[in-house]
Amino acid sequence: MSPHLRRLATKELTINMGPQHPATHGVLRLVLDLDGEKVIKCTPYVGYLHRGTEKLGENRTYPMVLPLTDRLDYVSSMANNIGYCVAVERLLGVSVPERAKFIRTIMAELTRIANHIVWLATHALDIGAMTVFLYSMREREKILELYEMACGARLTVTYPRIGGVRCDINQEFIDACTAFINEFPSHVEEYERLIDQNRIWLVRTKGIGVISAEEAINWGLTGPTLRGSGVPYDVRKCAPYDAYDQIDFDIPLGTNCDVYDRYRCRMEEFRQSVRIIRQCLEKLPGGLVLNPDAPGYDMAAGPRKKPAPPAPPPAAGAAPAEAPAAPAGPQFEDLYVATEVPKGELGFYFVSDGTGKPYRMHVRAPSFVHASVLPRLCEGGLVADVIANIGTIDIVLGECDR
Amino acid sequence: MTVRDIIKRAFLVEIIKGMALTLKMMFTKPVTIQYPEERRRVYEGFRGRHAFVRDAVSGKEKCIGCMKCANICPAQCITIAKEKIENKLVVVKYDIEALRCIYCGYCVEVCPVCALVLTEEYEYSSTDKAALYFDKEKLLKNWDEFAAKQQSETYFNKFWRPDGVDSAKMPKSKREQGPVPTRPVLKPAEPAPVAAMPKETAQP
Repeated sequence: MSPHLRRLATKELTINMGPQHPATHGVLRLVLDLDGEKVIKCTPYVGYLHRGTEKLGENRTYPMVLPLTDRLDYVSSMANNIGYCVAVERLLGVSVPERAKFIRTIMAELTRIANHIVWLATHALDIGAMTVFLYSMREREKILELYEMACGARLTVTYPRIGGVRCDINQEFIDACTAFINEFPSHVEEYERLIDQNRIWLVRTKGIGVISAEEAINWGLTGPTLRGSGVPYDVRKCAPYDAYDQIDFDIPLGTNCDVYDRYRCRMEEFRQSVRIIRQCLEKLPGGLVLNPDAPGYDMAAGPRKKPAPPAPPPAAGAAPAEAPAAPAGPQFEDLYVATEVPKGELGFYFVSDGTGKPYRMHVRAPSFVHASVLPRLCEGGLVADVIANIGTIDIVLGECDR
Repeated sequence: MTVRDIIKRAFLVEIIKGMALTLKMMFTKPVTIQYPEERRRVYEGFRGRHAFVRDAVSGKEKCIGCMKCANICPAQCITIAKEKIENKLVVVKYDIEALRCIYCGYCVEVCPVCALVLTEEYEYSSTDKAALYFDKEKLLKNWDEFAAKQQSETYFNKFWRPDGVDSAKMPKSKREQGPVPTRPVLKPAEPAPVAAMPKETAQP
């Protein structure tokens, strides 16, 4: 470099991207150290949307925590509800009627479609393809209408219950759902026609945000973000819950580990979800949708009756001061249950002291884990690719900050 | 690069395909609903503005003050006060703070006498906080406004007795709850079973 050019050399610049930035999908703040257009360092700051869901859960009985989980990932609230219910059911040892299992699976897959639609719309909008946004909102509206048909709410649904679902679906829902899954694959083709081969889209996504399978596992990525790197990990297959063990479906995988492959994975998941819903509607059994023995809304906050478990020893040094008057003292047990929400693996970890309230609740939010991988994806790239990387990991800050 | 690829690149084939779709969309029916003029259909069980069902016979609310709704409410937005008047527990205050409500509908589902309902009304935003603090009278007024809009003579909320849920464990009054009339019953009918219901449910 000549002395003249060296004088012209760019200076490092630190800028804030967010928390109020339309492309950060919420209140994510990234501090970027830039050298020209190159990102040298990227530091995500989270917590702007912290509402203390986990702490709030400790003061509420298990059924009362359920509406709070709607507000974690507000784009796929139904999947959060189901994840929570599956976890609590396993903790309390409650079985779920077959019909409820299938209804839940239908709802979970509808949520997957709705979530991926929002993801596709915003991801494409961030990268510069606005038309996709307009078309995909049209289909999302139909899914929200299906939610409303089932439970009277469109976004914060609170539809599942511990031991089943709140109310049965009617024939109108089944007809509308069948009509939706019949027409939806043609809409997926429309989205693909717009961007799949579009040269601007290809340039902006191919070879961007590459993360190898090994690294992706080490970073704790899950869901389509991990499967884009070719790791066939899906909780629906690995540890089936609800009706997934009775359903035939494939897990789409990527090979190039870049933004484009993750996009392809999610587009394929649209089709797989349609396939799952179709099988569920065909196999939908009759019967009740709620286990009559499941704890109801009036679940007592005090010690709950249990069919005499093989009492584990109380955790050492963790005996709470406000030990209830139960003869044997609190019986601690803990449990981690993961479900596959559209964004990845959503886990609920409970420490229970045998009462109607969780002693401690922790949410393993995929968005939080995915946000941590942003520096790895962004550093060394260009500023414009930061936007593509935020889109590809599919985060919602409501879930990330909890 | 094959000849086909070169042609594709040179003639912007993929762009033309996308544009063709956009052009096609110009001739399809718009999906947008022109909101204040047009309204979407509200489905059964929609969780909107709160109301107290006005008992067609007594003209009062049916609440017995069992506190179940106040206890289950995750947002803790229901306040109930009871007083003993002439040896009877009377609900003197029942407030719902709509601004805090998260519309989960638990209160409607737990109510043993089906006194509470989340109506299909959704246009009640206000610039005045006090207007969204529903007391007993306001809740009954909400019901009157909602009932007046109803086409049918009777109304039954989906969450009073959800489909597919075993009703054997529900309180008797909830099991026997039928559709409620939306119009005031003019003639003082014979003491309907509705009026006798609160006594059957045990007071806490």
